Amino acid sequence: MKMKYLALAMLASLSVHGQAPADPLLAGLDSLEPAHQPVIGTYKSTRIILGESTETLHQRELDFRVAHRFGDMGGSLGGAKTFFGMDNSTDIRIAFEYGITDRLMAGISRSKGSGSFTQLYEGMFKYKLLQQTTDNSVPFSLAFFGNAVVTGMAAATAVSEASYFASFNDRMLYTAQFILAKKAGALSLSLSPTYVQRNHVVYMDQNRMFALGGSARYKVSRRMGVIAEYFYPFRNRAGKDYFKAQGQPFYNPLAVGLEIETGGHVFSINFTNATAILENQFIPETRASWLQGQFRWGFNISRRFHL
Amino acid sequence: MKRYFWMLLLAMAAGKGLAQDVRTDKAASVSFFSSTPLEDIKAQTAQAYATLNVKTKEVYFKVPVQSFAFKYKLMKEHFNDSYLESSKYPNAEFKGSVVTDADLAKDGSYAVVVKGELLLHGISRHYETKGTLVVKGTEVVGDARFQVKLVDHSIKVPSLMLENIAEVVEVTVHADYKP
Repeated sequence: MKMKYLALAMLASLSVHGQAPADPLLAGLDSLEPAHQPVIGTYKSTRIILGESTETLHQRELDFRVAHRFGDMGGSLGGAKTFFGMDNSTDIRIAFEYGITDRLMAGISRSKGSGSFTQLYEGMFKYKLLQQTTDNSVPFSLAFFGNAVVTGMAAATAVSEASYFASFNDRMLYTAQFILAKKAGALSLSLSPTYVQRNHVVYMDQNRMFALGGSARYKVSRRMGVIAEYFYPFRNRAGKDYFKAQGQPFYNPLAVGLEIETGGHVFSINFTNATAILENQFIPETRASWLQGQFRWGFNISRRFHL
Repeated sequence: MKRYFWMLLLAMAAGKGLAQDVRTDKAASVSFFSSTPLEDIKAQTAQAYATLNVKTKEVYFKVPVQSFAFKYKLMKEHFNDSYLESSKYPNAEFKGSVVTDADLAKDGSYAVVVKGELLLHGISRHYETKGTLVVKGTEVVGDARFQVKLVDHSIKVPSLMLENIAEVVEVTVHADYKP
């Protein structure tokens, strides 16, 4: 009788034996995994399409960036005669950005500019306040972006023009922005409460404007993501109606694109109604409409170097 | 009731006996090296979990992919996001056993052959590799070096790659097994 149980017990121990090595020791192995690992690749680049992402450069990395927006694909300025906008460029930005620490980056850029100001020189910085972790001990990433932009264009003589500069201060534009992002599986979402200040604007326009940006990225393959991005400027009703009555309504910037990472290079191909590249312009000054064929293709190219 | 108690006790005793044969290293090191004309890519981690059963000669390795450290952080990012997809496949695992005739409970230095399955990037492959085991009392030091072909684990290097990635990487493992 006892022998029977003994045999049973032996069998039980044998079955333990037959399993993966040292199974009793493998229990709770997950606790050995490195805790608080950063979530990698919420976005492939420091910019989404229009606006900034929560990604920052690593320390001692130099990012050389070129962004380009062509002319309207459709509408009165598009079609075959301008080769669907390829003959024109609404805005071009060339930038050098540098990682001071793994969380702080700063950069300078020159843009052609699109809207009331051209010849734009920008100084910018971005600081990553929070980095989402794989174990969700930090559930999202948070970054703060700020820039100051000065226009080098010749001053207009007419007082009614935006580019009538009574003082040097009138040449300045600023952006302050928080970017909040979360990655879950292949999906990344972001939200960007933004403040834009323009020291000199035309009659009925706003010096100060708040806006809310949002984006979604879906990683479709190892090196490719599909992105959509939208900005909603909180423009006052009176201004909105006034410019509409003038036949120059404002539209909200919407962009869709594809980002491709090829190791060191990030190439983003996009379509957007925004004519300008800098936040200081595309948020308050987008006058092109998707529905009228006034969207363009554009690209952002980023090349990172280790210094 | 008593019978069950005996059963339980015996089963526990058997389990305990098994645990006594197991040597563990919770901070084993794994490194890999790939040489290309442009630059050599090296990465290492000391956060691997390794066990060796000196009786059954079973070997087990588990490596958190995100723990590999590189010369540049951007390399680490690409390694995790574009090559190993560590958010989908967070660990690399090896399960196998020493097939050489050697008594690992006895002191000595043994040149051994290890056979087993390596699960990497979600794809399991059979490997057979040479290594050494040095037994000293209850402690064992294990070393092995083997080649991993990226294509075997469907780790793709795209043709428009600007980074130079070798098709074969050399993996080195080292563990100080203790009871």
